[in-house]
Amino acid sequence: MLRATYIRGPTIFRSLFVLPSLRFPPLRNMSHRPIQTLLNANEEWAQSVVKDTPDFFARSATCQNPKILWIGCSDSRVPESIITASKPGDIFVHRNVANQFHLHDDSALSVLSFAVKEIGVEHVVLVGHTNCGGAMACIEAAKVAATNPSTSTPLTRWLSPLTALVRSLDLSACSANEALNKVVEANIIKQVDNICKSEPITTAWADPLAKKVTVHGWMYDLAEGRIKELVVRDSQA
Amino acid sequence: MSHESMQTLLNANEEWAQNVIKGTPDFFTQSATGQSPKILWIGCSDSRVPESVITASKPGDIFVHRNIANQFHLNDDSALSVLTYAVKVVGIEHVVLVGHTNCGGAAACLKAAEDAAADTGAPQPDTPLTRWLSPLIALVQSLDLSACSASEALDKVVQTNIITQVDNICNSEPITTAWADPNAKKVTVHGWVYDLARGRIDELVFREAQA
Repeated sequence: MLRATYIRGPTIFRSLFVLPSLRFPPLRNMSHRPIQTLLNANEEWAQSVVKDTPDFFARSATCQNPKILWIGCSDSRVPESIITASKPGDIFVHRNVANQFHLHDDSALSVLSFAVKEIGVEHVVLVGHTNCGGAMACIEAAKVAATNPSTSTPLTRWLSPLTALVRSLDLSACSANEALNKVVEANIIKQVDNICKSEPITTAWADPLAKKVTVHGWMYDLAEGRIKELVVRDSQA
Repeated sequence: MSHESMQTLLNANEEWAQNVIKGTPDFFTQSATGQSPKILWIGCSDSRVPESVITASKPGDIFVHRNIANQFHLNDDSALSVLTYAVKVVGIEHVVLVGHTNCGGAAACLKAAEDAAADTGAPQPDTPLTRWLSPLIALVQSLDLSACSASEALDKVVQTNIITQVDNICNSEPITTAWADPNAKKVTVHGWVYDLARGRIDELVFREAQA
């Protein structure tokens, strides 16, 4: 089983994968096993942190001061702190299906407000990723006629702006793979646009005394493990 | 200077990716083919509670939704769509709702409730953040915190919040449907509290289908 281990010194919180061989857990009816594994791993992690930095938790409990807000996908393969080797306290995080930022969504808007106005983040990164299941679902949904609103579910409502975005793209000359990449990229740009139009950002950018906030659109390539910056937006100062 | 922290992050990502490939050359190519996490984590956006770091988990282990004060509102499409997708498409087996000590959202609600009680005059402005926190403010107002110190009150709010959100999750369509269907995959809902000062997770409650 892959384990994240920590090395000493300044890189104490770097997660490395130390893997002699890949072993899969046996199929057994131990339904709480993943939970117990997680709790055991937490205990072990906490002990190793205390051993190397005895006052880490005591200091961490008093306040947080992250400079970055990450708005990303719920996809299990994109845990922001692992893929950026960040430690607790570094990144304020909002994750949802297909890394959306809808201008009518109180969940995302409250995170952005809190992050900009209370926490004082300096960078907002909107992060999409290749092979996004949400994007794939929207490509399929766009192929059929728009559904009757009375049959809408939270998931179909959630994905309807992205489905509309898919319909607006010309994917006729694209292979399935190219189409998915095009949708993932267009989605990132679109959500960055939405963030830039939101009240917390427009207010910060209009106020010469406000802390500087930059908005970034990033793409995480699952097959390579690398992040690529697609766009950056600053206030027009 | 302000982009320095971004470059640091991107450099760290590059280094991390190289180390992973060195240890497990096919990790990323395998990962790209699909995900099958068994756990959905619904937690707070607080930077001090990164689920995968504090549980030493790897990419692919945990499906994640994080928002202010780890809320699960039954009228919130964001949380409902995550839960629906996690249960019905991804096939997770455990939902963990994770709150934490020293929660800024909980502290803000305590303050808002105190202000309302003191009737300081100005009504709450209607903003996304005040709307988002209004159920938690109502929860605070329903508690008897008169005998509590400030820190006891915050702990009590954090714990009660966790139990309430677990209740909400258990009342949601994806869970009630899964629990009513004898052929559906088993899903357990857990309420956890992460103690920032100790770095430890404690389980407060868990709920299963009444079989």
